[in-house]
Amino acid sequence: MIFLFSVFSFSNGFSPKQRKKFAKINQWLDVFALLSWGILLLKYCFTGQLKLLIHPNFFWLVLATGIILLILSLTKGIACLTSNAEVGDKNDHIVLFPPGLGSIVLIVVALAGFAIAPNVLSSQAALQRGVAENLPLTRSEPQAFYTSIKPEERSLLDWVRTLNAYPEPDAYAGQQAKVKGFVVHLPQLPEDYLLISRFVITCCAVDAYPVGIPVKLATNRAVYPPDTWLTIEGEMISETLSLNREMMNETAQAERQLVLAAKSIEVIPTPADPYDY
Amino acid sequence: MNQLHNAFTLFLSLLVEAIPFLLFGVLLSSSLIFLVDERQLITRLPKNPFLGAIVGSCIGFLFPVCECGNVPVARRLLLKGVSPSVAIAFLLAAPTINPVVIWSTWIAFGDRPQIVVLRVLFSLGISILIGCIFSVQKDLRPLLQATLAKRLNVLIGESTALSPESSRFGDAARRKPLAAGTWFRLRPSQRTQSSKTESIVPQQEEKVPVLLQSGTFLLNSSGTPSRLDSFLPETVSTFYASVSPVAKGWRFLDNVVQELRELGGMLIFGSAIAVIIQVFIPREFVLNLGQDTVTSILAMLVLAGIVSICSTVDAFFALSFASTFTSGSLLAFLVFGPMIDIKGIGLMLSVFKPRMIIYLFALAAQLTFIFTLSYSYFW
Repeated sequence: MIFLFSVFSFSNGFSPKQRKKFAKINQWLDVFALLSWGILLLKYCFTGQLKLLIHPNFFWLVLATGIILLILSLTKGIACLTSNAEVGDKNDHIVLFPPGLGSIVLIVVALAGFAIAPNVLSSQAALQRGVAENLPLTRSEPQAFYTSIKPEERSLLDWVRTLNAYPEPDAYAGQQAKVKGFVVHLPQLPEDYLLISRFVITCCAVDAYPVGIPVKLATNRAVYPPDTWLTIEGEMISETLSLNREMMNETAQAERQLVLAAKSIEVIPTPADPYDY
Repeated sequence: MNQLHNAFTLFLSLLVEAIPFLLFGVLLSSSLIFLVDERQLITRLPKNPFLGAIVGSCIGFLFPVCECGNVPVARRLLLKGVSPSVAIAFLLAAPTINPVVIWSTWIAFGDRPQIVVLRVLFSLGISILIGCIFSVQKDLRPLLQATLAKRLNVLIGESTALSPESSRFGDAARRKPLAAGTWFRLRPSQRTQSSKTESIVPQQEEKVPVLLQSGTFLLNSSGTPSRLDSFLPETVSTFYASVSPVAKGWRFLDNVVQELRELGGMLIFGSAIAVIIQVFIPREFVLNLGQDTVTSILAMLVLAGIVSICSTVDAFFALSFASTFTSGSLLAFLVFGPMIDIKGIGLMLSVFKPRMIIYLFALAAQLTFIFTLSYSYFW
């Protein structure tokens, strides 16, 4: 309502000449808004940063959008340069923002996008979202397929899916495992346990869903600070731990859990594609 | 700091995922407005209120507009003499029942197909119900006037036909000019002329005074009125007759850029709210609110009203609540948001009296609540 209010007081408060000048500036703001977003999207495509933002299924969409935005911006720029008559006549269409504000907001956000690179979601985000050992019920997976993978070849996500399909920790005791993920320090776990985790993306980083398995260390977990990426080899065991899968809160009840007893731990750099799908 | 960076990443992620769909929706709606012949469409609409409401809800497939585009179209449909049930069903359903929106909802909630299907079904059901309700309530003046306009339009058969709405809406708007945001000033001579037109068919079709055309107008500073919705061609026939292909192309470009700017701004605003709630509000609080069947639906209804995010991308907004809120409440957001929100109310005031909008608002909110609550309990 306030938007509408200001729009109309704004557009009525100037002489026709001033209005035309504003209209001209607004047209160029449009051009730059489209241009900046076109370049930003293409930049994400070509630098691989898109992996940190959305599921690879939609890369082509972003690429196409970047190209179309560039074309639109170019055409609009040509229109601004050539046909002055076009300018300023059509600005009376229903507007929600004061003239120019929409484009300015778009430009500012795009510039911020250039300045600040997207980061890999941290263990803090994982803790806030609640690391689960089981996938949400809605994300059904073909169950038979995952149990057929050899234990030592399963990724962390495969393990979680397998466990989700058949949630009996004792069934996996003694199996060898080699998993990759980042460190999360769960407050409710003893000092010699950490959680090895991955984020799973179904659409974009907004729905990134952390999954993880507790790891039993020979040392104190302080050796491996949160967000460190590790490759852990070891053997699956089952233990009774107070680990509430859903809420991560203090009232968690002790339950039988699948735990990875680490034999060798290797610190690795953050992978280029930190998310699993 | 880390948390801020996370928030910014999520914010960008929402935008990067949503902008392609926004662009696609805008391109499609801009081009189809030029391609679909409204007048042909109107002559083929069924007269029965119930069938009309069903057809009206599905016109969205021909006009893939989100909730900013549908108000001008619904308004034009009303002025062209379409029955109220069709127009209102279209107004409520079009932002949801169209290919782009269904596609983006599928992308976001493909892992829960029931949300996609029920979003469509609930929106259809609510729109048809409300459409039927208003087709019975003949004493509602705005709707009654529309049927008068219908008779007039049949008589004249021209898009430039005078419609009683112009003057009536004008009066309403003059009483509350600022509330509407759009306002009118009719000179006394013109008003008497327009009130006479119920019995008189105007002789001059070439030069109808600008204020007597159907449309929303602004008085600019020089006092000359200019069309508010001039970017939408009156009908295809007049549009094709008057505009060259090149000019049409420029106009298409203008429309695309304008909508992108407006809706993009709205999208940024909405994404920022979604991320702030996701990152900065304590999870316990959100979970407590979001896990309860009733409060989660109520919270999402309020959020849908405030966050006027475009319906082509609101599924991604809802996705950020997928792990904390009940499916029923996500559905409530997806069904109610496109029908009525702050932005939509601003636009609707250019068509309806505030009273009418309150009816629409109350009906849509209650029906959404009942539908999604029953989904939560019985699914």
